[in-house]
Amino acid sequence: MAFLSDSAKASPTAGGEASAPSAWQVWRYRLKVASREPTTLIGVLTALLFTYLIVVPIISIVLDAVRVQFGHERRLGKDFGDLTLYYLDRTFTSPVSVDLFWRPLFNTLSVAVGAILLSLLIGTILAWLISRTDMFGRRWFATALIVPYMLPAWTFALAWTTLFKNRTVGGQPGWFEALGWTPPDWVAYGRFPITIILALHYTPFVILLFGSALRRFDSQLEDSARILGAKRYQVAMQIILPLMRPALMSSMILIFAKCLGEFGVPYVLGLPVKFEVLSTSLFRSIASRQTGVAGVVAASIMLIGIITLMIDARLVREARRFVTIGSKGSMNRQSRLGKLRLPATGFAATIFMLSVGLPLLTLFLSTVMKLPAQFTLDNFTLDYWIGQDLHTVALQTGVLLSPDLWAAAKNTLMIVGLASIASGILGLLVGYVVIRTPVRALSVYLRQVTFLPYLVPGIAFAAAYLSLFAVPRGPMPALYGTVTILVLALMADQMPYASRAGISAMTQLGKDPEEAAQIAGAGWFRRMMSIVIPIQKGSLVTGVLLPFISGIKGLSLFVILAVPSTDVLTTYSLRLVDYHYTQAANAVVLIIAAIAYLGTLAAQKLTKTNLAEGLGS
Amino acid sequence: MPTINLRGAQKNYGVNSANAVSNLDLEIRDGEFMCLLGPSGCGKTTTLRMIAGLENLSGGEIRIGDRVVDSIFEGVFVPPEKREMGLVFQSYALWPHLTIERNTDFGLRLRKLPKAEREARVEKVMQALDIAKYRDRYPSQLSGGQQQRVALARMLAVNPGVLLLDEPLSNLDARLRLEMRAELKRLHKEFKTTIVFVTHDQWEAMTLATTIAVMNEGTLQQMGTPNDIYDRPANRFVAEFVGSPPINILSFDKKGTSDVAKEAEAYLSSRYPSLRGIGSVGIRPEALSYATRKEDVPQGNFSGKMVVTGILPTGGSWILELKSDSHTLFLTTHALPRLELGEKVRFFAPPEALHVFDKDGQRIAEADKLLRSAKLN
Ligand SMILES: Nc1ncnc2c1ncn2[C@@H]1O[C@H](COP(=O)(O)OP(=O)(O)OP(=O)(O)O)[C@@H](O)[C@H]1O
Ligand SMILES: [Mg+2]
Repeated sequence: MAFLSDSAKASPTAGGEASAPSAWQVWRYRLKVASREPTTLIGVLTALLFTYLIVVPIISIVLDAVRVQFGHERRLGKDFGDLTLYYLDRTFTSPVSVDLFWRPLFNTLSVAVGAILLSLLIGTILAWLISRTDMFGRRWFATALIVPYMLPAWTFALAWTTLFKNRTVGGQPGWFEALGWTPPDWVAYGRFPITIILALHYTPFVILLFGSALRRFDSQLEDSARILGAKRYQVAMQIILPLMRPALMSSMILIFAKCLGEFGVPYVLGLPVKFEVLSTSLFRSIASRQTGVAGVVAASIMLIGIITLMIDARLVREARRFVTIGSKGSMNRQSRLGKLRLPATGFAATIFMLSVGLPLLTLFLSTVMKLPAQFTLDNFTLDYWIGQDLHTVALQTGVLLSPDLWAAAKNTLMIVGLASIASGILGLLVGYVVIRTPVRALSVYLRQVTFLPYLVPGIAFAAAYLSLFAVPRGPMPALYGTVTILVLALMADQMPYASRAGISAMTQLGKDPEEAAQIAGAGWFRRMMSIVIPIQKGSLVTGVLLPFISGIKGLSLFVILAVPSTDVLTTYSLRLVDYHYTQAANAVVLIIAAIAYLGTLAAQKLTKTNLAEGLGS
Repeated sequence: MPTINLRGAQKNYGVNSANAVSNLDLEIRDGEFMCLLGPSGCGKTTTLRMIAGLENLSGGEIRIGDRVVDSIFEGVFVPPEKREMGLVFQSYALWPHLTIERNTDFGLRLRKLPKAEREARVEKVMQALDIAKYRDRYPSQLSGGQQQRVALARMLAVNPGVLLLDEPLSNLDARLRLEMRAELKRLHKEFKTTIVFVTHDQWEAMTLATTIAVMNEGTLQQMGTPNDIYDRPANRFVAEFVGSPPINILSFDKKGTSDVAKEAEAYLSSRYPSLRGIGSVGIRPEALSYATRKEDVPQGNFSGKMVVTGILPTGGSWILELKSDSHTLFLTTHALPRLELGEKVRFFAPPEALHVFDKDGQRIAEADKLLRSAKLN
């Protein structure tokens, strides 16, 4: 306390005479300013919360990778929890490492590269047709060709099996088989269909990113090259392509990162022929309780994900430098397609049919036909939707009458709903604290920690949750199998989007309205209730709606963390696939797709934004 | 409201940036109408925000009466909502989600006034500021000037003890501005409200203020009555900032020396040999007179020969531009000048019209005594 009296003496009654305040006085004053409002307190609490919900699980799974797991004590001659290199060794160098890691890694990479090349090929052409030519129906295509991204990726996987399935797996035969042509395994399952489906699913990325770069591109650059005598293809190769490279690289990397975490498609199409990628290998390790190995695989996936997105961040920064070149006085002139106008439109229509029309139609038809590919009137039925007393082992009613569906729907609404509401509100709070707190370190930490899940593919994040919450720790009971763990994981997984939305909303709001209220005499709580939240109503709604949509169609988190009693729509349909109830599974997927699609439309309407803006970021 | 006292107040926005306000001592007495005057970026808004409590200090302290409201030394910080001041923001800061009426009403609701009284007061200010007809609109549906009036109304409605105004009239047209000035002045008289008013417009400051504080680059240059500021500027910055057309400066340093300045130097050193270290002399344009004949120049005045190069009517008065070989002077006259361009004239000024500054630009107080006593002789 000598301290205090010292400073009291030092404090001159005449205030700020030249004597500078001591470090202790400055610190005390800062503390006073920071603690006078709950902002900093809320910031500290949310920072702790997200450390626990995001950082700790990740650390936990990394530790799993290097510590002796339950059941291995005897074999390793060490105690549970001791440090060991056994799992690293097993995953990377042992004889089984090929099956556990290297082949899945190779498959992941090859599928990703294939999907990237294919989607770049299709996507760049479509983007150019939409944004720079006089193709018929450009505007319509601009929206229609984005639809595949609004639907869950494995919708297409199910459509594919419905068409191409062969005798390798049970259940109803595929349409082609029913028509008398048995598709070979490489067509029906594995690398080929997975690559095609991922390519079609992620083509919208290319269309959006490359398209917006094209629209910003200044036609005068093109013209000057033409005036200097360059031929059309020379212009394309030497002027346009180099300037478009950042956008292309960026979409490539985003697609890669998404492919890395993709679970549903390889699960549906890879399993029958034992074609494994990293995410399915991780799933198998978890399912067979190989916690240590799962830790290694999950950590590897995270590492690849983090590296990839860091490269992307760097590219984006470089791209900014580019953009300034052409953005001012930018002119966007359309090329006349002439004779190619009709074929070009045909091409876009074909891609639309392949990536949206055909899969959805197939799925739908499959749910109203008794026997595959038999187009006679008596073969059509609504039984699979609303039938009763069907002669099947389980699921004896149409799916809409099945209590399981409604239980799953209820779970979905509750889990996804709770998680989205929580992440929406937390996102706004985080935004508020990040912008308002006088403690800079807190602001930086919160921003970064809530962004972290973005770098971690969902399946690895789910594994991390499993690793932390499967057993009771301290005051926290074991959460595996509960609704709580799903809500928490989903919420944390959505935080990157929610907090970004919150931060940008708060930045736009500025501090004036709140300061004016402060001057008028409103305390913190009052300002929150009558100024901040009412003004931010719109962005709060979006902050809830967007996580909701992506949660509804999400699979990878649930497949690891859900148990039958906490089935959601996605895991329920996957279960139906496993039991070969093809029609019912397809029906459920159609329901999910419809919700996701309509939700996205609603969100777009509400926010008056285009999907294009939310995607690249 | 008791006296507001800033002592050594200092504000620094970032570790590496210069002080936005440094070592500011300011006393705002009860019932005062103080204008903060200064060029853009000199720290006027920052000062207001410190007084209101929206910025915390980097040094010094603020007291209201005997109560310390903000001090690093004592570890005290009273938040804005407890300081009971009114502040009209430079950017208006209207609440976009509330109608004009609700905007005006907000502070009264917080104070839990009975409904009838609230309505009466809102009605009164809205009428006074001529915004009653927009009561159900939202701020985005108003023009800049109308928004500014709402911002003003919102603060006036609660009738705070101190009203801080950050360029509240800048967006109004000439007529409204005049009306609002009168309104503010009336308000000040009627309610005895203490007002601190930020403006760029020196004319506004001169007509409204009881005290003017001139700031530059975060420091207080001079504080005084409008007459003080104009007649006895404490330094060259104040002298040059206040007044239009600006004061004529005759600089004595080697580089800037002109023929007129040399004459001034000779004039001063011959008559006041005790004056030393003069850096420059300032003469306000309206303190200068002219004569076409040498006999008309009064005894003992500083004078010189120049050529008329411009006659600019400004409505009721004229600005003459006079040139010598190396100097240009501006002179304001209220009588129609019967002069031709190119005509030779003599300008002259009485000794007490000379503002004498030292080499650092500070006013030499001693010179004032000498030059004024000259008049009596
Ligand atoms: N939030 C801030 N962060 C960093 N610097 C700031 C901030 N606000 C003001 N400054 C700096 O502090 C200085 C004083 O700014 P202030 O707004 O007080 O000027 P002003 O006198 O009100 O100017 P104007 O007449 O243009 O409104 C300026 O140099 C400005 O750049
Ligand atoms: Mg200002």
